[in-house]
Amino acid sequence: MKFKNIFIHWRAVLIVAEVTIKHQMIDGFILFTIIVQPILVATLALFMLKDTAQNAAMFVVVGSGLTGLWSSLLFISGNSINVERWQGTLETLVGMPTPFEVVVFGKNLANVIQSLLSMTGAYLLASIFFGYSLYMDQPLLFVISLFLSVFAFVSFGLTIAPIFVMYREVQQWQNAMEFPVYILAGFLFPILLLPGWTTPISYLLPPYWAAVALHGTSTANAPIQQTLFAWGMMLVFSMIDLFIASRLFKVMLHKARVDAVLDVQ
Amino acid sequence: MKTLTSNLRLFWQGTLLSYVALFTWLRPITYTASKIVSPLMQMLFFTFLGTFATGPENAHFYVIGNAVQIAALSGIYGVVLSIGGERWSGTLVYLFGTPANRMTMFFGRAFMHIIDGAIGVVVAFTWGVLLFKLDLTQTNLPALVLTIAVTTLSTCALGLLMGCLSLLTANVMFVNNTVYFMLLIFSGANIDLNLLPSWMQAFSNILPLTRGITSARALIAGAGMQEILPLLAQELGIGLIYGLLGYFLFKWVEVSAKRRGTLETI
Repeated sequence: MKFKNIFIHWRAVLIVAEVTIKHQMIDGFILFTIIVQPILVATLALFMLKDTAQNAAMFVVVGSGLTGLWSSLLFISGNSINVERWQGTLETLVGMPTPFEVVVFGKNLANVIQSLLSMTGAYLLASIFFGYSLYMDQPLLFVISLFLSVFAFVSFGLTIAPIFVMYREVQQWQNAMEFPVYILAGFLFPILLLPGWTTPISYLLPPYWAAVALHGTSTANAPIQQTLFAWGMMLVFSMIDLFIASRLFKVMLHKARVDAVLDVQ
Repeated sequence: MKTLTSNLRLFWQGTLLSYVALFTWLRPITYTASKIVSPLMQMLFFTFLGTFATGPENAHFYVIGNAVQIAALSGIYGVVLSIGGERWSGTLVYLFGTPANRMTMFFGRAFMHIIDGAIGVVVAFTWGVLLFKLDLTQTNLPALVLTIAVTTLSTCALGLLMGCLSLLTANVMFVNNTVYFMLLIFSGANIDLNLLPSWMQAFSNILPLTRGITSARALIAGAGMQEILPLLAQELGIGLIYGLLGYFLFKWVEVSAKRRGTLETI
């Protein structure tokens, strides 16, 4: 996998992202994952957390939005290659001149961007139906955090997707992976509540650093050093994820061309 | 006598085959991931969220609520997919083409999920005892077992109704997931129902699980069988209504689809 391809074929990336969004916006499961589920989680959390802090509603908006981002990454980006296999288009995509990683990157970019709708949905719920007046402590830093979070999530998705294709025993755990990251990444409560031995695991998860940056800039009025550190960690993990993804794609494409087992269900 | 034997055989075969075929649980690892680890993770998430909101002294409120709510995993996902899956597998035409007794066929789809769901709740309570030191020493255990059985039954009955709705839409997973998450809000598993607006309380009262969760909490706090029997009777009644509504909708879907030739279309 050559990442310079993503820049060389930027038009293909955008076209893939556009087609993916058009295709997915009529899929009930995807609409549930990126809009309905985060709104239901936000409703639950608003009832549960409303008296915990002055700006609790904003905390819930960001936290439930993050749950939508993770669920989307796990179920939609995670299956972004498998879906092509189920539809019988995987071999064609691998065989065409546009590099395969460009296609998968475009799909993941679309998935993560559209899952930002989850935060918008939660925001509208809190402000319109619950009547909260929502404000953000550091809006500019929040936007930068969001941009870096999208990059970190896309990179993480590029690692997960080939793993789910090649190691189906891992994919069997897909449903069981949703809530652990909600817990370990501190989307809706601080990880200080968890036993101490789980903290290093949280530090290894890019969604945790996304939560630190987004919560810190939206509600916690975090010092700039903390936010910069979270940004740095997201970038470091993105680079690591992209490196791992490049190796995984190499193995996967080898299987496709040499073993010819790519389309085997 | 022959009809009865035939119906019993149909019930059992339909029950078993739809269960096995649906989940392809040929490997224990798949079952472990979906039915043991996943519910534990859900319970942990909502218990930590609840303790963050109201303090660690209330952890058992969330543990009990989410343990009973696990019944919906089998009751909603399992049962809905058992019925909706007939269309995906292309077997709905054959199913409606047989002269088999519809009531046996319909309720047979839920039977294994009632057992499976009840086992799931017991596993969840075991997690609660092991991880959250849930104290069952004051609990009337036979009454708790009865509560689990009745609650799972009524939740599966809602699943039967939703399963029929899934025959009317292409978005089965949308139906499944929405109902499951709405139960997390409205059943009282995670929110004290008294804190909800009155319209939400009214909606909670027509759902399965609500009274089952209340009963379980009362029993673990030391209540006796007599105190929870009215709640269980209502829970059973609600289940019966959903089950019958589901059955009539199932019959209507069959007649309507045959008349209009839309058995395999949405």
